[in-house]
Amino acid sequence: MAISTVATAPELAAPRRPATAGRTLWRFVRKKPLGAAGALIMLVIIVTAVFANLVATHDPLATNAAHTLARPSAEYWLGTDNLGRDIYSRIVHGARVSLIVGLASTLLGSALGGVIGLLSGYAGGKVDLATQRVLDILQGLPLLVLALVMSAALGPSISNVVIAISVPIIPRAARVVRSSVLSIREMQYVEAARGLGLSHLRIAFRHVLPNTVGPFIVLCTAQLGSAILVEAALSFLGLGVPEPYPSWGRMLSISAAEYAHKAPHLVMFPGLAISLAVFGSNLLGDALRDTLDPRLRGA
Amino acid sequence: MDRLQRLALLGCAATLLVALLAPVSPAHAAKAGGILTLTQREDLPQGFAIHETATISSVWPAMPCFNNLVLFDPLKPNETPDTIVGELADKWSWQDGYRNLVLFLRRDVKWHDGTPFTSKDVKYTFDMLREAPEAPQKLRLNPRKDWYANVEAVEAADAYTVIFRLKRPQPSLLMMLASGYTPVYAAHVPSASYRTGCMGTGPFKLKEWRKGEFVEYVKNPDYFVKGRPYLDGLKYIVINEPGTRIAALQTGQVEVSFPSEVSKTNAEQLKAAVPKLVITPYSINTNDNIVMNMKKPPFDNPKVRLAVSHAIDRRALIQAVHQGGAVPGTALAPRPYGAWGLLEPDLQGLPGQGKATDEKAKAKKLLGEAGFSPQNPLRVEMVTRNLSIYVTLASFVVNELKQIGIEATLKQIETAQWHPMGTRGEFQIAANLTGIGPDDPDANFYENFGCGSPRNYSFYCSEQVMSQIDKQSQELDPKKRLTIVQAIQKKLEEDVARPIIDWRLDYFTVWPYVKNFIPHQSMYNFGRVQEVWLDK
Amino acid sequence: MKSYVAQRLAVALLTLLGMSLVIFLLLRLAPGDIVDILFSAAGYVDPQDKKAIMQELGMNRPYWVQYLEWIRGIVTGDLGKSYRYELPTWQLIRPLLPVTLELAALAIVIAVLLGVPTGVVSAIRQDSGLDYVLRVLSLAGLSMPSFWLAMVIILSLVAWFDWIPPMTYVGPSQNLRLHLLQFLLPALAVGYRSSALIMRITRSALLEVLREDYIRTARAKGQTPGLVVWRHALKNAMLPVVTVIGIEFAFMIGGLVVTETVFNLPGVARFLVQAIQWRDYPMVQNLVMFISIVVILSNLAVDLLYGVLDPRVRYGH
Repeated sequence: MAISTVATAPELAAPRRPATAGRTLWRFVRKKPLGAAGALIMLVIIVTAVFANLVATHDPLATNAAHTLARPSAEYWLGTDNLGRDIYSRIVHGARVSLIVGLASTLLGSALGGVIGLLSGYAGGKVDLATQRVLDILQGLPLLVLALVMSAALGPSISNVVIAISVPIIPRAARVVRSSVLSIREMQYVEAARGLGLSHLRIAFRHVLPNTVGPFIVLCTAQLGSAILVEAALSFLGLGVPEPYPSWGRMLSISAAEYAHKAPHLVMFPGLAISLAVFGSNLLGDALRDTLDPRLRGA
Repeated sequence: MDRLQRLALLGCAATLLVALLAPVSPAHAAKAGGILTLTQREDLPQGFAIHETATISSVWPAMPCFNNLVLFDPLKPNETPDTIVGELADKWSWQDGYRNLVLFLRRDVKWHDGTPFTSKDVKYTFDMLREAPEAPQKLRLNPRKDWYANVEAVEAADAYTVIFRLKRPQPSLLMMLASGYTPVYAAHVPSASYRTGCMGTGPFKLKEWRKGEFVEYVKNPDYFVKGRPYLDGLKYIVINEPGTRIAALQTGQVEVSFPSEVSKTNAEQLKAAVPKLVITPYSINTNDNIVMNMKKPPFDNPKVRLAVSHAIDRRALIQAVHQGGAVPGTALAPRPYGAWGLLEPDLQGLPGQGKATDEKAKAKKLLGEAGFSPQNPLRVEMVTRNLSIYVTLASFVVNELKQIGIEATLKQIETAQWHPMGTRGEFQIAANLTGIGPDDPDANFYENFGCGSPRNYSFYCSEQVMSQIDKQSQELDPKKRLTIVQAIQKKLEEDVARPIIDWRLDYFTVWPYVKNFIPHQSMYNFGRVQEVWLDK
Repeated sequence: MKSYVAQRLAVALLTLLGMSLVIFLLLRLAPGDIVDILFSAAGYVDPQDKKAIMQELGMNRPYWVQYLEWIRGIVTGDLGKSYRYELPTWQLIRPLLPVTLELAALAIVIAVLLGVPTGVVSAIRQDSGLDYVLRVLSLAGLSMPSFWLAMVIILSLVAWFDWIPPMTYVGPSQNLRLHLLQFLLPALAVGYRSSALIMRITRSALLEVLREDYIRTARAKGQTPGLVVWRHALKNAMLPVVTVIGIEFAFMIGGLVVTETVFNLPGVARFLVQAIQWRDYPMVQNLVMFISIVVILSNLAVDLLYGVLDPRVRYGH
């Protein structure tokens, strides 16, 4: 009782201005400027992706033999590639592809991994042990190698690339959620729920899951950057998103490297785009982590 | 004239005479010595087993190890029956109206391990290639078996004489023997050994093949051509990354480009960076083509096929996809790169060669006649290999088809599945590349347009054309033969058997001190490196 | 302690076995096999030839037979023959190992040399201008695709110096200077990324520790800040940093694949990509197992190091 009085006393003592969304946002920006910058970058990229048709200046797929490997100019803001396609427009539309692939694979992998981690952590015992070993196996295989083999196994298509990239994410997501579950599982309110006779599944999803949201969001933002990078590497090796979708990664692959000596902008701009997207998501992820789950700061 | 004047005149005349008759020493005498560094885009697919592969990645690094019976003269860029010179055979003659080919072999040739070369090796090689029932060995893979379909028997008349007995006259056989694809294997080693090593008679001996890294050769000191090779050794470095490969060529770490890897844009870039590089455009005897499966709708309908052929603007494609580094043509390479191609005026009338707007209008009309319209558009799936050169070609074609109302989606097929898919006919339309060893109608027609040929991916079969192909194969008068061959090419385009889009050019790049490395009109035949020397 | 090690080893072995099964099955899931690739190189397809070659390579036997033979081979030391090169896989892998290991080791050294000091500085001067700059720089390193960095390096070298590192392996005994140039540049490309991660972990670990009570006590006792940092904070902060170094070594493989390809180094990673494209099952299986063993061993080493460094782990597990 004494504790609650102390806690609420300052509330009564000094009247505060109501916390509007705007003020919360401003506080976030002031407290975590890097995070705000990251959020801004991600917002720009998302808006570009969604409104790609409006933001782009040319058709990203239209070839133009007369203007191959043109330097950046008023007409072609970032120059053209070896087929005369406008690089700026391809980067804009590529944002859509890279973002979709990145988000889809991250969400797919994190969701699957999260469910596995949740059930495994909650169930405990032999089930947990066995699941851990299986996850160890998946995690032990290096990310790119696993994605490479999966991509070769499934063949070149957008959905297959999403699946291929999501698979290495599953064990990592499961790990994070599981550790979160383990710490929550022993808490009093869960015991109370059990005492009340609620089924395990219900407890798992209704009570434990919501409390893992914080670490889960952090995980997603962290993995998004990684997913975009893996997609780029796969495309570079020829196994990523296939034509005609403009993918940042594939813009950097074979044809870019060949012509790069004459037209370095072919290599610079898609690479900068990828770096910026990953940078933004990492900044945002860091800030979210610091805010939502300070326990994970060391992770 | 007094005595002194007469003597002076005599002296002048004598000096003049001596000067005229004295052997002219060349301004640039070939120098011996040095190691030449070349490059490979991938590691050797099956080692040095040329007979078990059909790719430049195999022929290019393996040719220095071998000799053929005959070869196209390395110093002449054009390849015709007149430019064929002897290697293991120093004399040959056709007899019985091109029914028997008699070759007289050199007597001073030794295999790299010292074993003497005899006619036994020749009989062994060609019995194996034509899969004669009495052949002592069988090749694990035999891509060019059909080249020898007409060979009845290979006779070793004595230790240094070989006779090819043919079922019917075939002058083209000599052209096929002169291709880089036709080395002579040794009878005293198993044919499988060529996949891991190389027992040849050639100007260079294999020193080391470090898998995935490089192939190294040293000069063959007992080579039967005295004074050759000029070079002390060769090194082919494997560089998988195209950007890195161009950088290596530009900085001089690699001194010779890999055939088919230097496009026009690359050539311009290299020339701008290093103006002294010697860059020679040449045809690599490879064409871009469209394969339409005639066994299934919609391409069983000739009107639809013709529409597709009209829709593809050949010249625009050459500009967009190759930046001008290709030439239009039909089934055989066009002049001046090949000897059999149609000339410009004949080419004009064929589908896709005319003005773009007219051609597209014709295409739309044909589609309409076939029953397709904007309300009922033709939807197809175009397949292509999962390699950048195929994909850029296919992307452009898809765009062309879009303009006449065909909705085509593009599907990329991985290397491992490409040929099986083609042979089984599990596709509708495909963007394809075809490379042919020698510039010869026999080597081309049977394989790509012959009824029932496994590589006739469009399943085109015309009895009439087949009989014409057989006829030209036996035609001994070159002029008559040319007429028949050109007529066949026209018919193939009109029947839309496999519309040829263009013939690719490559830009052979060497550093200026590399002398006598002359590209031919086919990239498969000039890799012997016997005459090359370094002016350093 | 012994039982801890034994337990960990047993788990490691089990995990390796599981990995072998996964890679074995995954490979065979991929459409096409070595014979299809050979047909591609030969430009034609013949079902009869395919049957003959599959029999020759032993590929027509049931999967479990092939799997057991492979596992038995690993135990007895016979790693099978490469489908593509028809040579023992160990003979092909052996020259690749030193290249990749040296590259990875150099990358880790660069990563630690770059990452730890910047992490310390960043932690000590938390939220200062320098801190922000260092954090942004390190995050930039984490955000760049490693192959892009490699490509940019090669392009710059050609443009500025008209020179690229040697395209074939130069041993240290042949030409030390060239050898170092050949390895330091790609090591830098890979190491920059890892240094970013190490910097972040060092910074956050040090920050955690600096907030601890015993640090405040030491400072209150009047010890000089520098000594405080070094003696107390850094040692305790090193634990998670060591963990990350161990894990990074394994994660680096991805970066090594593209770096080895762009810089044309004859290492394990570049060979692996080719082997996957060729469906050379024995090569891929053994290469991936080798990589997995490195990963497991480094995890094990980290776990053991944990046990040594942190007594709580040793006894309270």
